[in-house]
Amino acid sequence: MDILMQLLMSGIALGMIYAVIAFGYQSTFATSGTLNFGQGEALMLGAMVGLSINGDVLGGPYTNYWLMIPLVLLFGALQGVVVEFIAVRPAIKSKSEFGWIMSTIALGIIFRNVAENIWGRDDMPFPSPLPTAPIHILDANVLPMELMVVVGALLMMLLVELFNRRSIYGKAVVATSSDRDAAGLMGINTGLVITFSYALSSMSAAFAGVLIAPITLTGASMGAVLGLKAFAVAIIGGLTSGLGVIVGGILLGIAETTTGFYLSTGYKDVPGLVLLLLVLAIKPSGLFGKTTIKKV
Amino acid sequence: MLEIHDLKAAYGQVQVLHGISLNVPQGQVVTLIGSNGAGKTTTMRAVSGMLKPSAGRIMLGSKDITGLPAHRIAKIGLAHSPEGRRVFPTQSVRDNLLLGAFTRLTLGGKRPRGDIQGDLEKALDLFPRLRERQHQLAGTLSGGEQQMLAMARALMLKPEVLLLDEPSMGLAPILVDEVFHIIGRLKEQGITMLLVEQFAAAALGVADYGYVMENGRIAVHGPATQLRNDPKVQAAYLGGSASH
Ligand SMILES: Nc1ncnc2c1ncn2[C@@H]1O[C@H](COP(=O)(O)OP(=O)(O)OP(=O)(O)O)[C@@H](O)[C@H]1O
Ligand SMILES: [Mg+2]
Repeated sequence: MDILMQLLMSGIALGMIYAVIAFGYQSTFATSGTLNFGQGEALMLGAMVGLSINGDVLGGPYTNYWLMIPLVLLFGALQGVVVEFIAVRPAIKSKSEFGWIMSTIALGIIFRNVAENIWGRDDMPFPSPLPTAPIHILDANVLPMELMVVVGALLMMLLVELFNRRSIYGKAVVATSSDRDAAGLMGINTGLVITFSYALSSMSAAFAGVLIAPITLTGASMGAVLGLKAFAVAIIGGLTSGLGVIVGGILLGIAETTTGFYLSTGYKDVPGLVLLLLVLAIKPSGLFGKTTIKKV
Repeated sequence: MLEIHDLKAAYGQVQVLHGISLNVPQGQVVTLIGSNGAGKTTTMRAVSGMLKPSAGRIMLGSKDITGLPAHRIAKIGLAHSPEGRRVFPTQSVRDNLLLGAFTRLTLGGKRPRGDIQGDLEKALDLFPRLRERQHQLAGTLSGGEQQMLAMARALMLKPEVLLLDEPSMGLAPILVDEVFHIIGRLKEQGITMLLVEQFAAAALGVADYGYVMENGRIAVHGPATQLRNDPKVQAAYLGGSASH
């Protein structure tokens, strides 16, 4: 087994999780110029709801892992609608430039409190739907679930991209992202498009939650750090570039696993943040981004 | 078809429209002319819902559209080709045209679907330059081509009333002639239009009726032929003599 290859593989799987969450940040930023700073909590809720359906914490299991996924996606979408409705819409309406920052953070904290009350504060294992014995790929041991993370993440982003390019509704989302007023003139209900982008954003996070949960532990506090790191990935990759979050996510994932091994796990969060600071100093629009400045 | 009564609008505290009344009868072309900053664009924005009017009433056919959001006004049948083109730069010419037909393509769209492919072909026939570039991204078109795309996109809604805000803006003289020629053809097809133009003479040439705006008010109005021969209008807007 080659240790570097091992670190690269684990880094890629971790990075794809960041990419999916960051993809959610991008989706709301594109349509509305706003972000859901409760993305980490959306991920946590997705994982917790998934565990409740799929595990025995609330009297289950009710279905298997694969049938649970669409239910969690639906839950994530609804949760995103709630976030948009409560925290974002009022701020956009009142043209408050930064109101949504506070309100999405506040709502995230409320969600975490609610989760702690329903599921407790302890981390719980999530039953793995795939064999837990690693398989050998390119001299490295890879968990089947890690493969599933990569495949699932890519598949989700591919489907959204297809939707945007092929369907008239997806085209309307893209049009709203480039010019909200002009999109309105086409008869597109741009307020609804923004709600939709929040649904998509939380749905991505919830999906990331049930992808990562079988590899790590599940608990009310699992989202905070992931949400923050994915935010770094969105900034590193550029808030406007789909390819950017994949590359950014993988960069950060690999930086973390290699630092964790070669330096100390205590420092594994440092390289990502250093990378973030470097990108902000040198290319503020992100490695792949065109502009980050957008009218609200 | 489009009736505007005593329309007032403001940007923040600054009132720009001080009570505009105008009427666009079915099948006619009405032009709104006036110097820069008179409030022509603001009038159009208030009609199409890009800007909420502060007072007045706007009727589209039998429907009161005053203060409705833009997307609902579009569904009722008003298309607006806005000032500055506003095409969707990251999407292809064809996608831009399909987006123009959004209200016909979607479930809640309300406008009759009709033959969308056929209308797309017709739009590309009307603007052959767009046909050659239909798979190109709209942002890579020249300014003049983007202007044509903005017009064609508005037509795809199959509107009851079409608002055109300076379709000739930034075009080379030969293209300006082409644009007016196309407006003439649309008029022959019976499309009801409100046209804002800097080329007042050409606009009055194609229009049935005209309104002259000054400082947010209608200063003069009358049949286009009459306005063209009005000495005051000639002096202020037609460079002293009617060229058409
Ligand atoms: N977004 C805005 N915010 C504040 N004031 C504005 C805004 N847009 C236009 N105005 C002001 O409203 C007035 C009317 O502008 P409008 O664009 O309607 O004029 P116009 O007749 O279309 O002129 P032009 O021929 O130059 O296009 C101008 O004094 C302009 O400065
Ligand atoms: Mg104007």
